[in-house]
Amino acid sequence: MENKQKTFSKLIKDNQGLIIKVSRLYTHSLEDQEDLFQEIVLQLWKSYDSFQGNSKISTWMYRVALNTAITLFRKKTRQPQTDELQDFHSKDFLEDNDEKQQQISLLYKVIKLLPDVERAIVMMYLDDEPYKEIAETLGITEVNARVKMNRLKKILKELMIKHA
Amino acid sequence: MPNSENFDIDSLKKTWQDQMIPDDYNQNEIESMLNKKSRNYVKYILWISIAEFVIFGFINFLALFSEDFHTDFTSILNKLQIRNQNEIEFSLDRIYYWMKIFSLIITGVFVVIFYMNYKKINVESNLKKFIIHIIHFKKTVNLFIFTNVFFLLLFIGSFTSFLVFTIKQQNIHVDNPTFWSLITGVVFSLLICIILILIYYKLAYGILLKRLSVNLKQLEKIDSEKI
Repeated sequence: MENKQKTFSKLIKDNQGLIIKVSRLYTHSLEDQEDLFQEIVLQLWKSYDSFQGNSKISTWMYRVALNTAITLFRKKTRQPQTDELQDFHSKDFLEDNDEKQQQISLLYKVIKLLPDVERAIVMMYLDDEPYKEIAETLGITEVNARVKMNRLKKILKELMIKHA
Repeated sequence: MPNSENFDIDSLKKTWQDQMIPDDYNQNEIESMLNKKSRNYVKYILWISIAEFVIFGFINFLALFSEDFHTDFTSILNKLQIRNQNEIEFSLDRIYYWMKIFSLIITGVFVVIFYMNYKKINVESNLKKFIIHIIHFKKTVNLFIFTNVFFLLLFIGSFTSFLVFTIKQQNIHVDNPTFWSLITGVVFSLLICIILILIYYKLAYGILLKRLSVNLKQLEKIDSEKI
C-alpha cells in the first residue's frame, strides 16, 4: 500500500502541471484552486487501480481532472467580480514581469471567460493534444472538435484584443 | 505583450506549455492529500438520495404495519353516518393492503436500479457520458419520489372518490360541515405537500442540475453545429 502511494504521489508530482492548469482555469480564488487540486488528486487516486497503465497518463489525467473540475467540484467561494479576478491573476504573477508570463496571465484571463466545455478544448489544444484525444475526452466527434477550435481561435483573438 | 491585432493562439502554444508552475506540491504534500475527505457533488447527491430512500422506505414500512389507518377510517365513516361500514372497510382495507405491497416492491426495484446507475458513474468516462450518467442516477431518485407522491395522490384520490360515491349511493344528506371540512382538508394538505416537495427539489438539486444540463447542452450544441 505504502509503495503504491509512493508511486502514485511521484506520478502526480511529475505531472502536476496539468492538474494545476485545470485547477486555475476552473476556479476564481486561491482557496478554491487548492481545493480543486486536492479533489482531482483524490479522484485520480480512487481510479488509480483501474488505470495502472491501461491508457496514456495524460489521457487518464485529463479525463479525471476535467470531469472533476467541470462536474464534481463544489466551489467554496462565490464567483468574484472582475476586479477580484484581476487581483487573483495579478497575485499569481506578482514577480513575473517578463513578457511570457504576461502572455500566460492574459491567456488565463481570456480562457476563463469561455464556458466550461470550451475552456477544456482550448486547454487541451494549447497542450498540443491531438483532436482525437480532445474529442474522446469530451465525448464529441473529432470533426466537431476541430471546427469548434477553429471558431474558438477567432473568439480568443477578439477577447485578447479587448482585454490586452 | 504581443501585438493583439496579430494574435495567433498557435504562437502561444510553446509559451503555454513551458509556463512556470508556481508553488508546486512535493511528494509528501501529495500523499497527505490522499487521507483528506472528498468534497464533491456526486457524494452529496448519493448521501441525500440514500436519506430520501431511507425516509420514504421507513414511511412505507410504518404504513404497512400501522393500525391507525383502520381506526381513522372508521371514525370518518362514523362521522359521515355511513351504513354497511364493515363491508366498505373490508373493501378499502384490501385495496390499501395491495397498494402497500405494490409500493414496497416498487421501492425494492428502485433500490436495485439506483445502485446500478450509481455504479455506472465512472470518473474516467468521457465528459458527456459522465454528465449523462450523473443525470440518470439523479433521475432514478426523482422517479422514486414522484412515484411515491403519485401513490399518495392516487390513494387519497380514490379514498375521497369512494366516500363521495358511497354518500351518494346511500342518499346520505350531508347537513354538517364534516364532509366539506374533509374535502377541503385533503385538497389543502395535498397542495402543501406538493409545494414543499417542489421547493425541496429546487433547493437540494437546483444548482447542480442546472450546471450539469448547461454543460451537457454545450456538448450537444458543439456536436450539432453545422460544419
